[in-house]
Amino acid sequence: MSYAYLFKYIIIGDTGVGKSCLLLQFTDKRFQPVHDLTIGVEFGARMITIDNKPIKLQIWDTAGQESFRSITRSYYRGAAGALLVYDITRRETFNHLANWLEDARQHANANMTIMLIGNKCDLSHRRAVSTEEGEQFAKEHGLVFMEASAKTAQNVEEAFISTAATIYKKIQDGVFDVSNESYGIKVGYGGIPGPSGGRDGTSSQAGGCCS
Amino acid sequence: MGQSKRANNSSEEELQSSGNRIKSAEFQKLKITMTNSESKLSDALRSASGARAVDSARITKFTKALSGSSVILEKLRELAWNGVPPDMRPSIWRLLLGYASPNPDSRGRLLTRKRLEYVDCASQYYDIPETERSDDEINMLRQIAVDCPRTVPDVTFFQQEQVQKSLERILYTWAIRHPASGYVQGINDLVTPFLMVFLSEHLDGGMESWSVSDLSPQKISNVEADCYWCLSKLLDSMQDHYTFAQPGIQRLIFKLKELVHRIDERVSRHMEEEGLEFLQFAFRWLNCLLIREIPFHLVTRLWDTYLAEGDALPDFLVYICASLLLTWSDELLKLDFQEMVMFLQHLPTQNWTHHELEMVLSRAYMWHVMFNNSPRHLAS
Repeated sequence: MSYAYLFKYIIIGDTGVGKSCLLLQFTDKRFQPVHDLTIGVEFGARMITIDNKPIKLQIWDTAGQESFRSITRSYYRGAAGALLVYDITRRETFNHLANWLEDARQHANANMTIMLIGNKCDLSHRRAVSTEEGEQFAKEHGLVFMEASAKTAQNVEEAFISTAATIYKKIQDGVFDVSNESYGIKVGYGGIPGPSGGRDGTSSQAGGCCS
Repeated sequence: MGQSKRANNSSEEELQSSGNRIKSAEFQKLKITMTNSESKLSDALRSASGARAVDSARITKFTKALSGSSVILEKLRELAWNGVPPDMRPSIWRLLLGYASPNPDSRGRLLTRKRLEYVDCASQYYDIPETERSDDEINMLRQIAVDCPRTVPDVTFFQQEQVQKSLERILYTWAIRHPASGYVQGINDLVTPFLMVFLSEHLDGGMESWSVSDLSPQKISNVEADCYWCLSKLLDSMQDHYTFAQPGIQRLIFKLKELVHRIDERVSRHMEEEGLEFLQFAFRWLNCLLIREIPFHLVTRLWDTYLAEGDALPDFLVYICASLLLTWSDELLKLDFQEMVMFLQHLPTQNWTHHELEMVLSRAYMWHVMFNNSPRHLAS
């Protein structure tokens, strides 16, 4: 299926916060209570629609453990959007957010859209980080914020889609030179070519798997 | 497990079909090399049915290799490369890893000593109050505790609490004693074949029916000790695979890319044109020694070859990975970037039997003979 735009995402955050589960819920609409540890990176993709335009999301889900940081850092470059995830039941995963942001600011392009996600909000009885704290952190650092649950699917679609909407808006506003693929955006059929002329608008990749 | 006998093709036929992109001149050269060395390859091809390891003549050979006043490891490696009979696996793995002594007279005594040493280590590092641990140690232990329940989640046996506790103790003790790397995710996977093999000495039937709570604490402690020492020995030959930035794995991925380019230029070019990087799929392959990529019941057979390779394993792994990847060379050519990443991160090996695995190994062996001692092949 052809797309108007392709956006590349990266999912980051401490190990065990539910990054892979969020991705699985978004791409396959299912929840796996015990998920394999992610080693290096995993990949997922899905088509969505924004402003009546088909948009393909290609998502790199990264391993959270510190020791893989040098491998996963290379995925920041060329990402248009990032989901920064913490676990509302584990305080330390919230405390590490500043480190993750620092990493992102250093290695990603400056216009990357970052969405902060407090995952596992179905476990409110074990909550260790309040919603207000999440909101406050997001506000201080200019991020969009949502609490979500990969288990119940609450806000999962919303998180991925509103990130895409933000990126789309930035394109409309001319923030990106979309002909430059290092921004993590590719123009397909019907997309607006970049200010510098852009790519051949008809070069959409037909027949790609978009599950 | 698949023990079905298959008709054996002539080895030449099978060789050509398995490496169908090898030029015939190279093939002739390979045949000469093989005749000279009376190689493992012909053995491997004959064993492609998977029935080889339980063949009675073969068991006799193993029994002979294990008897005598001292086990000749070279001989044992040659035999083990093609698969070890399951009930001999625990003793043979301990020998191949250099954990058990080749000398049967001192073997028992030395094993007892090593097992006690492990118990000492575990009680010194693991069985202590939280207040005596540093912050780093607390974090590491917490990490390991989170990971143990997530280890091979699709094999129910590993969901038993007692098994996870043993895994936790082994990993933590290992990590403390190897501060250059510490605990790196994926090492948890590497303990599982050892756990399975060393528990098989004490439990009957298939592992689905095993219950570790039936075992005495002494037996559990011995199994843990064997797992600990065997993991240590295995990782000794791969020290820089788990240190900062994992340079050992990066190096192997670089070699893999070169090798694939050499063996199958079309696939290599297609991957490059689509923007697929080897790091995107081969990192996990190497970090977990392919445990995640094949059904768990085939892993011990794969590891027979690993342990037979000994210190040469990292080099040979590159050939195994190339062989695994090019199992699907025709399919890969039809896929675009996205399809290829998905395919390679979820290889269709769920229904594999020994047969497919033996083909991967024998082709890896063949390429190793062809390319390893001729670096010019790779340079051009």
